Amino acid sequence: MKFHWFNLMPWPYLPDDFTEKHRSVWVDVDSRLFDPVKANRIYNDYLDLLELAEDVGYDGLGINEHHQNAYGLMPSPQLMASTLARRTHKAAILLLGQSLALYDPPTRVAEEMAMIDCISGGRLISGFPVGSSMDDNYACGVNPATLREKYHEAHDLVRLAWADPDVFAWNGKHYKLRYVNLWPRPIQTPPPIWIPGGGSVETWDFCAEHKYNYSYLSFQGYVRGAQLMEGFWRRMEELGSDFNPYQAAFAQQICVADTDAEAKRLYEKHARYFFSRCLHVYPGYADAPGYRTEPTIRAGLVSQMAGQSSALNQAAALSWEEMIEKGFIVAGSPDSVAEQIEKVATSLKIGHLVCLLHFGDMPNELCQHSTRLFAEKVIPQMRGMWKDYEDHWYPKPMPLEDRAIPRQVTVPDTAEGREMRLKEVG
Amino acid sequence: MDMQTMQVGPEQRDVWYYRAGQGEPLLYLHNMLGLQGFEPALARLAESFDVIAPFAPGWGPAKDQLPEFDEGPLDLTLHCCDVLDALGIDRAHVVGVSIGAWMAAELAAIEPTRVARLVLVNPLGLWLDDAGGEDPFAQHPGFPSQALFTDPDGRKRHLIEGRDKVDAHVDELLSLRASAKFLWPIPDTGVKRRLPRIKAATLVVTSDGDVIVPAAYGPAWRDAISGARLTTLAGAGHLAELERPEAFADTVRAFLEDEAIAAVA
Repeated sequence: MKFHWFNLMPWPYLPDDFTEKHRSVWVDVDSRLFDPVKANRIYNDYLDLLELAEDVGYDGLGINEHHQNAYGLMPSPQLMASTLARRTHKAAILLLGQSLALYDPPTRVAEEMAMIDCISGGRLISGFPVGSSMDDNYACGVNPATLREKYHEAHDLVRLAWADPDVFAWNGKHYKLRYVNLWPRPIQTPPPIWIPGGGSVETWDFCAEHKYNYSYLSFQGYVRGAQLMEGFWRRMEELGSDFNPYQAAFAQQICVADTDAEAKRLYEKHARYFFSRCLHVYPGYADAPGYRTEPTIRAGLVSQMAGQSSALNQAAALSWEEMIEKGFIVAGSPDSVAEQIEKVATSLKIGHLVCLLHFGDMPNELCQHSTRLFAEKVIPQMRGMWKDYEDHWYPKPMPLEDRAIPRQVTVPDTAEGREMRLKEVG
Repeated sequence: MDMQTMQVGPEQRDVWYYRAGQGEPLLYLHNMLGLQGFEPALARLAESFDVIAPFAPGWGPAKDQLPEFDEGPLDLTLHCCDVLDALGIDRAHVVGVSIGAWMAAELAAIEPTRVARLVLVNPLGLWLDDAGGEDPFAQHPGFPSQALFTDPDGRKRHLIEGRDKVDAHVDELLSLRASAKFLWPIPDTGVKRRLPRIKAATLVVTSDGDVIVPAAYGPAWRDAISGARLTTLAGAGHLAELERPEAFADTVRAFLEDEAIAAVA
């Protein structure tokens, strides 16, 4: 089984009265709450954590794309991926991902991913989500009625641009390019493709057809996730696809401490920050007309009428113990976390766990603590899981001995180093 | 009133429509939510006119035709002409509400000989930064069209009651999807440049309770169309023909029958 360290990169300074005074964390969030000077530290802290995750043994470093969003500071995951490509050397770069329909021409995405794959020596995983309605439709203005056809056309174009060595013309409905000729090109042919999704049947069929990894990204936790993943695996079986746990990934909030009680003491307030402030999204931005297909709308309406809440922030009202019981968060001592992770892996049948070890306004040092404990005391207990399956969805990089070695940062990370650096820049 | 079907244009595209009444032909182009049957306002107009009310491509039974309509004004105008041709009508009064008013204005601008008189009720299609308007596509998904009504129960009464709840809600969302295709993300369709081409005598109607197309848009439409008149309906929201069917029909009829307006050759 593989473990990826993933950070949404939330803004940690949303005020205590945020949910009362503001209608949404996304799209029309008050930009006066953003402070670029503080962001200097925040971005660098978050990138430090990603780099640390490689040092302590995570298999992948996860980043994603959000726009006009105070819980996701990465409008461009490529920028994050490019610095990780230079400053790390082992872990997969899990770029989860780029919303293809936002880029015109979408060959720009193919180019940038190729660059990252080249710089990193073939460590890229390319995620191609449709993207959320908040990002695609409201923040970026893409028409919801044609979003999915655009997405599929962009996908086909990117795949062909990566595969075809000759110049070709693309005469599509949404994109017309007389000369498609990708330069540079990725090392991996192609990089593994993961499709982050929220549970629409069409996405499952798409993954089956192309043999892509399906990554279920929700904040609802593994108990609810298990129901949905059961549907996914059933559908894969119906479509004649052989079971392989590595064809699926799941994102889960996780925190580890020395004891269960300590976990509550250390992390509860940061989880609350995430579930209440970060997921405070105005419902009017959740689902632009046309964003969901008719079958998905019908299924959603039926489950709502059966009393299932679709509110993003439903965990905000729960006690810490209920959050754990319902799977919104996996928390506790290393052994209780390992026990919960085993449940996650077996009930969802997933080979890739996307570990959200940073959430809300968790400070850097505390997140390091949790990240290390998970790596040292939980991952080794789980490593052997799914050992009989081959992982076709993980990068196949160049051999280490053949790869370029980026120039190392020579200034030590100490007070003296800081002084040296300050003198250097004058 | 039963829905009828016909095939129109070179592709023999299916059209679902209502038709009733006698008199001069009146082509009715519906609002963002399609047609809720042969609505009471249409029945009242059918006392004086031959009312033809088709579902536009993308709405109601024509929901699957939406992907064929990528060239908004041109495709929609050609489609309207196909409908008139299939019925053997050279020239009709054209009455449009909401997004239908935009389609009506395009038809009158691009094919002026097909339109006798034109009525544009709460027309979408222009954008004024100062006037703005509520975003019809950023509403709570549980009751996405509530903002179109002034009556808090309007959505329930006009769209949901008497129907299967899931079906009605799905229809509502698909109608908004079709509207979004032509109006996303800002309802500026470019019609402004074409409005001076309209030759038909034109009445612009706004509703005093419309938050989607605030009353400030009325003068902008009137001033852009040569000789147009402007009037306001009281006590109605964006869907004036549903909320005030009698006042709506009487306003339309009075204009279409007004003998003081010179016929356009």
